[in-house]
Amino acid sequence: MEKSENHDFLNMNRRTFLKVVGAIGASAFLGIHSSKITKALELSKTKIIWLHGAECTGCSSSLLDGGNPDLSQAIEKLSVDLAFHETLLAQQGIFVDGSPASTSELNSEILLDEAIEEGNYVLVVEGSIANGPEGSGKYCMYGERTFKDIFAKAASNATAIMAVGMCAAYGGVNSADSDLKDITDFRGVAYLNEDSSKGMLSILGINKPVINIAGCPAHPDWILLTLAAVILGKIDINNLDAVLDTYKRPVVFFPTDNSMHDNCPRRGYYDRGILDEDLSGEGCLLKVGCKGPYTRSDCGLRRWNGSVSMCTQAGSPCISCCEPGFPDVASPFYDMIEDKPLAYGMNVGTMSAIGVGAASLGVAAHAARRIVFDKYAEERKKKEEE
Amino acid sequence: MTRVVVDPLTRIEGHLRVSTEVDANGVITDAQSSGMLFRGMERILVNRDPRDAARFTQRVCGICPTAQSMASVNALDDLYEVADQIPKDALVTRNIIQAINTMASHATHIYVLWGPDLVNPAYRNLLATVEGTGSAVWKEFLSRFAPISYKMDGASVTPGTAYINAIKEKKDLEQAMAVIGGKMPHQMATVAGGVTYRPNLADVGTLTSHYYKLMDFVNSTTLGVDAQTWLDNTYRASSPQKAVNFLLEHLQNLVDKSLSSNNFSYSAGWGDLELISAFGSELIGEKTLGLPASFKIDRTGGYGEDSNVGYLTYGVFYDVENGDGYDAVGFGQSAFQKAAFINSSFEKKAFDHKYVTEETSHGFYTSDDALHPFDGVTDPVTTASDITYEGGSDSRYTWIKAPRYNGTPCEVGPVSRLISMDEPLTTGLMQAFADNGYSAVNSFTRMIAKAQELLILSEQYLKWVTVDLDPAGKYYVDPDLNNAKDSKGIGLWEAPRGALGHWVKAGSDLKITNYQMVVPTTWNCSPRDANGVAGPLEQSLIGTKISAAENALGVDNTNPTGILHTARSFDPCIACAIHTIDLTDRTATPRTFTIV
Repeated sequence: MEKSENHDFLNMNRRTFLKVVGAIGASAFLGIHSSKITKALELSKTKIIWLHGAECTGCSSSLLDGGNPDLSQAIEKLSVDLAFHETLLAQQGIFVDGSPASTSELNSEILLDEAIEEGNYVLVVEGSIANGPEGSGKYCMYGERTFKDIFAKAASNATAIMAVGMCAAYGGVNSADSDLKDITDFRGVAYLNEDSSKGMLSILGINKPVINIAGCPAHPDWILLTLAAVILGKIDINNLDAVLDTYKRPVVFFPTDNSMHDNCPRRGYYDRGILDEDLSGEGCLLKVGCKGPYTRSDCGLRRWNGSVSMCTQAGSPCISCCEPGFPDVASPFYDMIEDKPLAYGMNVGTMSAIGVGAASLGVAAHAARRIVFDKYAEERKKKEEE
Repeated sequence: MTRVVVDPLTRIEGHLRVSTEVDANGVITDAQSSGMLFRGMERILVNRDPRDAARFTQRVCGICPTAQSMASVNALDDLYEVADQIPKDALVTRNIIQAINTMASHATHIYVLWGPDLVNPAYRNLLATVEGTGSAVWKEFLSRFAPISYKMDGASVTPGTAYINAIKEKKDLEQAMAVIGGKMPHQMATVAGGVTYRPNLADVGTLTSHYYKLMDFVNSTTLGVDAQTWLDNTYRASSPQKAVNFLLEHLQNLVDKSLSSNNFSYSAGWGDLELISAFGSELIGEKTLGLPASFKIDRTGGYGEDSNVGYLTYGVFYDVENGDGYDAVGFGQSAFQKAAFINSSFEKKAFDHKYVTEETSHGFYTSDDALHPFDGVTDPVTTASDITYEGGSDSRYTWIKAPRYNGTPCEVGPVSRLISMDEPLTTGLMQAFADNGYSAVNSFTRMIAKAQELLILSEQYLKWVTVDLDPAGKYYVDPDLNNAKDSKGIGLWEAPRGALGHWVKAGSDLKITNYQMVVPTTWNCSPRDANGVAGPLEQSLIGTKISAAENALGVDNTNPTGILHTARSFDPCIACAIHTIDLTDRTATPRTFTIV
C-alpha cells in the first residue's frame, strides 16, 4: 500500500497507471490518491449518460456494491456528472396528450435529449439492444421510442462508449442459442458474441471508441477503475488498442497471459490432484464443470463484494461469465468440457482423451490453457513493442 | 379527458409504461400497465441441462437473482426427486441467503427507488403553505431522501443521508451474501441438491456481524426507537389494535414534543419510518395526530369498492426445525411465511397451485387461452406494426401476461405475505384504513409492510445464523440426474416483490423440454384479461387522483405523483415480468410457443 502511495500517478505513463490501479483496486486507489485526483480534475466535470436496454439491472446493482469509497463518493472524487441513469435518477418520462411535459428536472426524456444534445459525454450502456422484430427494434421500447433509436442518438454524439456487462458487450444471455434468437435479434454495442461485424454500431454505421467491461455482472472495480482511467486521461480513447484485448476488454482486468484458474483460491487442490466429484467438497472443481482455466479474469485476485469471496471459493464452478459467447461457451455449466468447441474456436477434445487420472487431467487442463493463451501471447508481445 | 402517460417509469427494474386517462377534476378514470421489453429467457432454457436453469434464471433479474435461483432449485430438487432429502443445513443456508436478498432489496426499494418521490417539488410547495412547521419538515425530507444527481430550480441538491446510508447498507448485506454465494449479484451457491458452500465458524461470526451492522442502520436511520422495542410492540403485539395503538402513541409523543420546537430531526426521535408514517399518511398524520398537512400517500394506490383483486402468496423460507427435506408441492403450508390466497373481502383460503393460469388476450401474442403454466401455449407477434402502445384498454398493449388465481387478479408482495402471517401492525393498519373509508391496502400500507417485513426478517436471519446453522452439518446430496427422465418439477417461493413460481419439465434425454416462470410483477402489473378485468396496478390507479396530496394545490397533469407513488409502491421488476416465451415443440409445424 505504501508503495502505491509513493507512485506519482499523475506522471505515470498509461501502462504503469493501469498496472497500479489494477493491482490495488478501486477502493484503495480512490482512497490513497484522493487529493491528487481532486487536483488533477480541476477541469470541468465528466458527464456520464448511462442507458439500460435488455438487461436485469444487475450491473447497476453491482456498481452500487462498489468498494470504499462507495459510488456516491467516487462520483464526487472523480468529479463525475451522472447526467442520466434510469434506475437512480429522480426523473421519469411524462407525456401529456402525447407531448413531453414539464422540464428536465422532472422529465427524464427531456433530460436525456438535452444531455445528448450538449454532447461531450461518456456513454455507458447496460443491456443488449433489440434489433427485432424485422430490424425495427420494437422488442425494447421506452419513452415512446425504440431503444435502438435512443442508443443510435446517444452513441452518435458520445465521446466514447463503455459497454458494461455481457449483455451490452456481447449480447450475453439475451443472445444465447435458441430458435427465437434470430427473431429477437439482440445485439451487443460492438459485438454479437465473438463477432465484431454484427454489433449494433455496425448495423447503424456508427464508428466510436468502445471499451467492453465483461462479466455477468461486471465487477464494480472494473467499471469504476476504467471510468477513472478514462476521466484522468490515462486511457487514450483514440488509442484503445494499447490497453484492450481483441474483444475490447481492458487487459489489466482480463489478462491475456493468465486465467482465472491461475489465481483460484482452490488452486492448491488442483496442484495436488484433488479433484472433486460432486459439489459437496472443498477441492478443485474442474471435474464438476469449472471453466476457470478458459476464463480470463482477475476474479481470483480481486474477488467480489469487498474481496469477501468469489465463485470457486464458494464451491461453485466458474461459468466463464467474462468470455464473449457466454453463456453458450460454458453451458452445460456443471459438466467438464470434453469435445465441445470452446471460446476462441479452440477444441479440447484431446484433453479428455489424455485425462485418465487426476494428475493427467491437470496436465490436460494446462495444455488447454496454453492453447488459449498462446494465441494472446503474440498479441501482447506486439503491444509491448509499440 | 387528458391522456397522462408515464414512460419510462424510472427507478424500478426494467421498462414500464403507465398510461392513464384523467378527467377535469384530476381523477384517473382509466389505466393501462405496459411491459416494454420482450426478451425470450425461458425459450433459451429449452434443450439445456436442467441444472443450468438455476444460473440462467438468475439472469432474469439482477435485483432478486437469489429468489429466482431459489424457485429454480426448488423445481430442480423436485425434478430430480431429491426434495425430501435436502439436508437441513442446506435449507438453513438457503433461508439465510434469501433473507439477505429480501432485506437488501427492501432497503434498496424503500430508499433508493421509492424514497426520492418524497422530495418531489410538489411537496415543497405543499409544505410551504404551512408556516414554520412546513419548512422544518421539508428540510428533513430533503436532507434524508434526495437522490443522487438531484436538481431543484437549477441548483444541485446533496444526496440525502438516509439515501446514502441505504446504499451502504445494501452493499453491506450483499457482502454477507457473498460469504456464502461467492458474489452478488448472481450468487452461485444455490444448486439442485443443496448449496455448494459449507459455512465455517468464522463465517457464522461474520454473518452475525452483518446483522449488527444492519441494526446500526435501522436504529440510526429507519427507526427512532430500538428495533427490538418496535417488534415487541407491533409484530409481537397481542392484537392488531394494540400494534396500531403503539404506533399512534409513539407518534403522538413525538408530535407533542416537536410541533412547538419544529425539530423533526433524528436526534429528536424521528426515524424515517416515523417521519413517513406521520407526514405520509392523511389518516395517521392529519386525522389522528392533528398535523397541519400530509402527503396523503394513503389516498394513492388503493382499490375502489367494486374492485376485484385478491392477495396471493406461495409461502417462503423452509421450516428448518423439522430437519431434512421439504414437500415441493405442499411447501407453503410449512413455510415460515405461509402460502395463502386472500380474497377481496380478506377471507383467507388454502392455496393450490392448480388454480394459477395465465393468458395473453391483451398482450402482444396471438393465442389467448387461460392455461396452467404447465400447459400454456402462445405465439408472440413478430411483425413490427403489431407492436403499438396507443390502442387503449381494449387493445393488446403489453408484453406482460395476465396471471389469474381461479380467475382473480392478485396483488403479491410484502402486504400479501404479512396478511397471510396475520402480522398485527399490517392487519391493524388495514383495519384502521377500512374503518375510515380508505382502501385497506394502498401505497402507504405497501411501504409500511415492506419496512416491517425487513425488520421481522432481520430477527429471523439472526436465528437461522446463530441457532440453526451447524457448520459441521451436511450441505449437499448429489442428485441422480437420470431421475429427470420424463419428469417434472414445481418450484414455489417468494421473491422480495411477491409470489414466484417455476415449472420445469424434462424429456427422455434428461434435457429441459419446457421451463415456465410466473413472477411477481406479472401478477402486479398484469394487463386486462379476456373478461376485461384489469390487473392490480391498473385497478389501484383508477379512481385515485393524479397529483400531489389529492390535488391539494390544484390538478397538475405534468407532475403526476399519484401514478408515481402507486406504480412504484408495487416495486415493479419488468425484466422478471417479461422474461417470457418458450418453445414447447421445436419440430411442430407451425411452431407453437409457450409463454409464462
